[in-house]
Amino acid sequence: MDKLNRSLLGAALFLTAGLGYTAEKSETLVEHNMLMNHGGGHLMDMDGGMVMGQNKETLPPGCGKISGDESITVRAGHKYAKDYPGTMFGFDTHEWRVKPCTRLTVTFINEDHIRHQWMMHGLPKFIYDKGMFHLEMTGPAKITGTLILPAEDRTYLVHCDIAQHMEKGMKGQLIVGKGSTPFPSIPGISDFTIPDDYGPKVADSVKLTPVAPVGSSASATTANPPSSGNNTFLLGMILGVIGTPLGIRYYRRRFEGMKGSQVFELLLNDLRSTVDKVIGFLTTLGGGAGKK
Amino acid sequence: MPRHSLAILLASLFITLSAPAGAVFKAPPTAKVEPGQAEPFCNSGAPPEWRQAQTIEGVTIQESRSCNPDNPNDIAAFVKGTNNISMETLMDTSNVAADTLTLTNDIDKDGDPDHYVIKLEIMEVNGHSPDFPGVVPTFDIAPGIQPSFWVFTPKSRDMSTRSFASAEANPLLRMPSPPIRVEQGDVVWLVVENSHYFPHSIHLHGVDHPFMDHSGEGNDGVGQTSEMDIMPGQSKTYVIRPRQAGTMYYHCHVQPHTHIAMGLAGMFIVEENRPNNWPQVFNIGAGQVRHPSAAVQEKFQQEYDLHYQSVDKELHSIPQSANDVRLVAKKMNQEYDMTDATDDYYLLNGRAFPYTLRESMITVSPNEKTKIRILNGHTEHLALHIHGHKATETHYDGVPMNPAAQVTRDVYSMAPAQRLDLALDTTNDGLHSFGSGLWMFHDHTEKAFTTDGMGEGGSISLVAYKDYVEENGTPKSHGMDLKPYFTKEFWQRKLPVWQDYMDGSLGPPAGTMDTKPGINSGNEIVPPQAQPTGATPSAGAVPSPSQDSGGGLFSGLLLGIAAYLLFQNREKLLALMGQLPLLNKPKQ
Repeated sequence: MDKLNRSLLGAALFLTAGLGYTAEKSETLVEHNMLMNHGGGHLMDMDGGMVMGQNKETLPPGCGKISGDESITVRAGHKYAKDYPGTMFGFDTHEWRVKPCTRLTVTFINEDHIRHQWMMHGLPKFIYDKGMFHLEMTGPAKITGTLILPAEDRTYLVHCDIAQHMEKGMKGQLIVGKGSTPFPSIPGISDFTIPDDYGPKVADSVKLTPVAPVGSSASATTANPPSSGNNTFLLGMILGVIGTPLGIRYYRRRFEGMKGSQVFELLLNDLRSTVDKVIGFLTTLGGGAGKK
Repeated sequence: MPRHSLAILLASLFITLSAPAGAVFKAPPTAKVEPGQAEPFCNSGAPPEWRQAQTIEGVTIQESRSCNPDNPNDIAAFVKGTNNISMETLMDTSNVAADTLTLTNDIDKDGDPDHYVIKLEIMEVNGHSPDFPGVVPTFDIAPGIQPSFWVFTPKSRDMSTRSFASAEANPLLRMPSPPIRVEQGDVVWLVVENSHYFPHSIHLHGVDHPFMDHSGEGNDGVGQTSEMDIMPGQSKTYVIRPRQAGTMYYHCHVQPHTHIAMGLAGMFIVEENRPNNWPQVFNIGAGQVRHPSAAVQEKFQQEYDLHYQSVDKELHSIPQSANDVRLVAKKMNQEYDMTDATDDYYLLNGRAFPYTLRESMITVSPNEKTKIRILNGHTEHLALHIHGHKATETHYDGVPMNPAAQVTRDVYSMAPAQRLDLALDTTNDGLHSFGSGLWMFHDHTEKAFTTDGMGEGGSISLVAYKDYVEENGTPKSHGMDLKPYFTKEFWQRKLPVWQDYMDGSLGPPAGTMDTKPGINSGNEIVPPQAQPTGATPSAGAVPSPSQDSGGGLFSGLLLGIAAYLLFQNREKLLALMGQLPLLNKPKQ
């Protein structure tokens, strides 16, 4: 009986402790600065703080010496997605530029209450395990790591690899020297390779003023859902009404004093260049999609 | 009359000319469809020692005769807690995070920890990418079939794929959401870190939990009555101390009609309290529990978790149809109508046949007792049948049945969300078991043994006696070649099911089928699953509105030009009209 009481008391204590735990949503940053070194530049603590590919000393080939010390601070969280509608997570900066052979110290601040990562790929594998430099922890928290960048001009992918975090906004690039091919779908910097289809534009309902109490309901039902086809039709019509006189004036001025054959030739030229432009535009679209 | 007879004459002439006397219609010959590349039965790449009975960190782990066994280091971490194992074991897990499971404080001094902090994340598998036409990270339910899913996962670390070069999901990121085990009377903090892009929650269905926790926060996971949903990037701790043991259920309660169906649901098992009792907190991919609890081991030699789920392919293609989270939300919450939906895929522990044979066979020996816990996660009724056996129903919804009322039968009926505990006895007495063999077990609702209507697929698996199973989990079957089931083409309806029977009498008539459907199957540039919504009506509807708008603009433009010209030349036109005799008539 005494034992049972004691266990109940203990349990009550823990349930109350749970109170403190759940209520602890203050925005004080946990600093992950007591990491254990597991060799190969892999540092870790028991709260899930991680640095992979830490390298303060080993010079990549082609670097006679460290060209300079730079440090950046990157903030991450849902808050930084707000400037890019349609995304959910984000970094405060999506592009960083450094000189080759820079020793770069990255301070990563995660302001969400979940895990985030600042993960770089494509580094030389004989210095960086799996070719990665990687910072990770559960927020709100702060972690710091250092690496030395190779001598080549190159653009490196930086992202959070948690499922859908890169796709939903946590993507950036680190440009060393002049850089190389840029990456697609970086918020504010590059377009999606596969754009989203937002469908036809839908207009808001318009409040109708009832003309007569009898006929009003019938007119409301017919006028209420303006289909998108109608909208673009209207747009086209307005363009036609306004554009035609302008077009006529423009061509009248251009053709002044010309013979019929000259006019014909000029028009043909105009048509040809328009077709060329359309084809050019379409091929760039197709080329962009085929790249990856 | 003469005209009529002429027609008859012409018709008969035509018939005689077109069908010469003696020639009979000959049906086309039988063709043979070349099957595509078949995967090997077992390609899990799991080290053979993972299947052995072993002890890691003092945790005894039972043998697994499975092609795709659980990583024993994961099991050790899930029994001892990530805080009580060596860094080496933690590093050998499938990327389990250092803070996934913290077990402390033996409050009642009975040799096991009584305070559990369990951390879950929420992940999407087979999701959209704006950069390439495939899905990421991938989780195939059957060859070439990749519907998107949302799952609760044990908190993980590092990459969500197996490597940078692979798109395949980390083993912890999979269907179903893992069964969670805790001990009766322990204090459990269930921490949900919402790493997904939509709001979510956890409702502990059937698990003893207070409606409000001690800090005055809602604890029931229901947005409308208990507390606000957990927003993306936020976390929430559910605090429970379950007084009753049993097989229970946990699921997301935000837009639950779609979120449960999307995969945010799993088994929650409260194990009976015993001294020195360390339940295996997570059972990745469900199936065999390789470290059964003390209470289960008193009565049974082994234990299995079976989670049945059904999938409507239209619903599960929505997250793949756009990258903008607002578009996904609109399609999911406003456009998708579940009351018009039908299920297409039927899963056992996250896979459909034949992949079920790689992980969810129940391997048994004669004269043994196996505990089977079953959750019906379908949208409809489940009628489970085990060939060659009559098992005994011991618990419904986690509550033990009166021993006098326990029924031994061969079809077990389960409503959606219902749990059933079965005792499977392999004593060969013609009642409990008919003897050794490879005995199929399946939901006897016919469509549940198909995959999108192609049979045999769905949630079929086997009760396999060990003398019928190879060391690596391959069943020694005595029937037909299973290779066609391991091709993508079979599930794309491109392989005639009976073409290899007899002399090909039931093959396809020549000219009615593509005989080389697999010719590009090795070609992974544009995988067939690249068009995620290919089969859905929404994809068909996409081009038409855009054509519409273009057409509308163009015809509007034409009409606008015409209207301008008409207006400019109105006087000439009016004059012209005035000359028309028809219009002049009324004037006279």
